Amino acid sequence: MARPKIVSLTEAVGQINDGDMLTFGGFTVWRRPMAAIYELIRQKKRNLHLVEVNGGTHDDMLVGAGCVGIWESSWCGHELYGKFGSNLARKIEKGEILYEDWAHIHVLNRLTAGAKGLPFLPTYAAMGSDMLNPENDNLGKAGLRDGSNPHIGKYKYVMYKEPFTDSEIVLVPAANPDWCITHVQMVGAEGTVRVDGLKFSDLEVIKASKHNIIIAEKVVSEEYLRREPTRNMLPGYLVDYIVELPWGAHPTGLYGVHEPDGEFIANFFKATRTQEGFDKWADEWIFGVKDFQEYLSKLGITRLEPLKANPSLGYSSTLKRGSR
Amino acid sequence: MDSKKEYSKPGEFKPMDLLACAAAREVQDGEIVFAGTGLPMLAIMVAQHTQAPTAVCIYESGSIDGKPIDLPTSVADARCSYQAAVADGLTDVFGQLQSGKVDLAYLGGAEVDLYGNVNCTFMGGPTGKRLTGSGGNSDIHSLAKRSVLIMPQFGQKRRFVERVSYITSPGWKIPHWPDKEWVPKREVYGPAFNGGPSAVISDMGVYRFDENGEMYLDTVHPGFTAEDCRENCSFDLNISRVKGETLTPTYEELDLLYKTIDPEGIIMK
Repeated sequence: MARPKIVSLTEAVGQINDGDMLTFGGFTVWRRPMAAIYELIRQKKRNLHLVEVNGGTHDDMLVGAGCVGIWESSWCGHELYGKFGSNLARKIEKGEILYEDWAHIHVLNRLTAGAKGLPFLPTYAAMGSDMLNPENDNLGKAGLRDGSNPHIGKYKYVMYKEPFTDSEIVLVPAANPDWCITHVQMVGAEGTVRVDGLKFSDLEVIKASKHNIIIAEKVVSEEYLRREPTRNMLPGYLVDYIVELPWGAHPTGLYGVHEPDGEFIANFFKATRTQEGFDKWADEWIFGVKDFQEYLSKLGITRLEPLKANPSLGYSSTLKRGSR
Repeated sequence: MDSKKEYSKPGEFKPMDLLACAAAREVQDGEIVFAGTGLPMLAIMVAQHTQAPTAVCIYESGSIDGKPIDLPTSVADARCSYQAAVADGLTDVFGQLQSGKVDLAYLGGAEVDLYGNVNCTFMGGPTGKRLTGSGGNSDIHSLAKRSVLIMPQFGQKRRFVERVSYITSPGWKIPHWPDKEWVPKREVYGPAFNGGPSAVISDMGVYRFDENGEMYLDTVHPGFTAEDCRENCSFDLNISRVKGETLTPTYEELDLLYKTIDPEGIIMK
């Protein structure tokens, strides 16, 4: 059985090539592999093809930094910390990025099909929406559905009269990303993965992907995780690389460990209304620090401490969140 | 009569309070409810504290029937999972949605049209201003038995339009792809038809949909007239069925919003 390698973040991210298709664990501003996002930007990856059940702060950063060639997802925003992903919105409005809009279930089904080794899955979701309007098949209009790219199907979707009840249903093609990067609370030295809290679409995105990088707050002994196998999510043979990196999800949140840094995300949103604003932000927080350790030092303990979760609740009980 | 059950008077509540309470009143006890970040969370919590104590809240991130003691700031917030029955993931809850188990869903949007189609992708179509995209909005509007939209309207008539400029989420009358023919939702969805939009709650009134799937004014919020509501729509709104004024928040509901549900002032500022 293949064993995952425990490596540095620089080494893990260094395995990803320009043009690769990527997806990520997590949901909107929770449990995103942000340290890997910063490292992808630092390593100046180009023409990445993102396929995501939903996006968030992380993909808006990659888009702002010019790392992304194609974005396929249902959403990009920052929850209550910012109305939408400014970088993505700007590049879509200016025609500077190829994108394909989907509903949650569409992308979830594409990755579930990928995880199960099937060519497609059906769904009734979003029938009658403009996401299925043939005029909005942007990859098709760009001439990319000619079979030359293994990640782009011949059709965006197929409307199909299924044979059992003769009802119309939407078939969406499988997606098998080259890489999935997932941040978790705990991983065993042999790759057994444990996630606390909501699992989102992690099982589907990880299993659909050809290679997996698991970034964990802590690498622990296998024996410890195998005392309670019902709490574990994945066996180690699905994992290629393991990186141990506490706080690696900052500024997004990590159940039971820390909150999203809402102020940081809101400031990112404010700063990135223009490309110049994003570039300045990236110069300070990504290129202005040598690595993630220096980023954490720059953030400082007084900023990070109030984000830490109270173990009895799974979230912080000291962080000031509202106006009262 | 318990004085807390009395309705507050104009000047004693903000537009946001009325919006949350009007939305809360859409929930019937025992219903399975999907709610999104922000006002929908407040609405379901008010309902659970008042007329619908056994209503179950599902968040699209996978949290089912949580009992949050602190207001979540997103549907994936750790607070959503506090005392939850199940904390799983999207495949589970969207599967339940598709199989018709969700009674009611709350949604928002940038534009809504005569047929309850919702736009949260582009203002002005695919060459216009880009928004967040669909998220769960489209799936939920497609597949819940009823959905209730919470939308700002006053001074923003371009948000209430005859046809949305991009259909993110399908209403009662929708195009059939790829032939583009406009047909009733029931015809497109066939055996998967569960229902559709049942109300739009704005800062001016409560709107519902008639037998043809067209929007009409049901009640008007205190301080506005039916004509005001029509003037704040970009189409000829049907005001012939208006029943009267929307009930104001009770003192109990206001207390719940500010003291129990959002004492930190995250949304109820």
